[in-house]
Amino acid sequence: MSTRTWHDLGDPGDLDGFVAFLAEGGIVEPGDPMPDEYRREVFRFIELHANSELMGGLTERDWIPKAPGLRRKMAIIAKTQDEIGHAHLLYMVASDMGVKTRDQMLTDLFAGRSRFHNVFHYAAVTWADQVAIAYLVDAAALISQQAVLKVCSYGPYRRILKRIVAEEGFHMRHGEEMLLTFAEGTEIQRRMFQEALDRWWLPALQLFGPDSKPDDELITFRIKSEPNEVLRDRWVQKYAPLLTGYGFTVPDPDLRHDPDTGRWEIGEIDWSHLKATLANAGPDSARRIGDAARHWADTAWVRDALERTSARAA
Amino acid sequence: MRTYEVFLKREGKDEFRHAGSLDAATPELALVLARENYARRAEGRLMWVVDRADILTADESFLAPNVDRPHRHNDGALVAARRRAQRESS
Ligand SMILES: [Fe+2]
Ligand SMILES: [Fe+2]
Repeated sequence: MSTRTWHDLGDPGDLDGFVAFLAEGGIVEPGDPMPDEYRREVFRFIELHANSELMGGLTERDWIPKAPGLRRKMAIIAKTQDEIGHAHLLYMVASDMGVKTRDQMLTDLFAGRSRFHNVFHYAAVTWADQVAIAYLVDAAALISQQAVLKVCSYGPYRRILKRIVAEEGFHMRHGEEMLLTFAEGTEIQRRMFQEALDRWWLPALQLFGPDSKPDDELITFRIKSEPNEVLRDRWVQKYAPLLTGYGFTVPDPDLRHDPDTGRWEIGEIDWSHLKATLANAGPDSARRIGDAARHWADTAWVRDALERTSARAA
Repeated sequence: MRTYEVFLKREGKDEFRHAGSLDAATPELALVLARENYARRAEGRLMWVVDRADILTADESFLAPNVDRPHRHNDGALVAARRRAQRESS
């Protein structure tokens, strides 16, 4: 890792020099001068991540009363706290970039002006959906975040990601444990998980996004280390055999295992679903954003009380 | 709201390390939020929480005088060369 700082290189307008600095492992800290493009792109990426953690945590919370048994309730409470915690940490990192304050980010999110990951634009219908999410979606999130952590050039994000990645690992294993309960269960339980899988396979697959453009700025800026299609393929190669191994059917009629290459090949992906979620027009987008906004308004008294306490303490 | 920086130290290991930051209404709440955001799984046995405004910050120009002080370093190259010369002459 380079010990040089961007300060040594000087001119923040010198984009080529900056990219070269990043290419040799340079790390950018909040007070450093940085090109506007970098600040804008990295901020957008972290804001999207923060919003997604928050929206994911809120969905998780909806299931606390419905989770079967005390042990699973406790596990899901812990997971909810993790996800909301991830959002907290990421909003701190994002607001220190000086593009938007945390209040502005939250206001934009609840007004439907911001983006969050596609998977949180769908309804979780049964408890099996929550299990499919914990298993497939947290795994997909983990693969993408590990790829960011590998190169991440923005210091505060890199440090926070370490803890997030460790905790996503807990979620994924928790998801797999619950999946095993379904897999070893009755015919009704197995059918219930199969139906959840039918709903969640494609959204989870699309979490990685469409194939990256060859000139993806986030790769140049050392935020992403690998193109989307490589990460997506890593996920497919791991989860297609696991799910079929448990006797479930991956909802892709063209999915096949190539005995020569040992690879799992998937069919054509219909990206129209992803496009809808990106426009906040997914099947459950309006309900999710509306609920989040209502909860935010309902808890305004807590923030007011804190503000008053804060003013008194000053 | 004030911004705080959180540091954690694991028992018998390492030094205090920066964990991250948070916003809190009072110092007491800062401690609670620090514990719940950064030490949920006992990531530290000791914790420092510092108001960001209380941190004394030295800028580059203050640190600059010590950047170029070669006489404070000795990479051993000179010693190695003289040792070699000694060996060859004996
Ligand atoms: Fe998370
Ligand atoms: Fe998670």
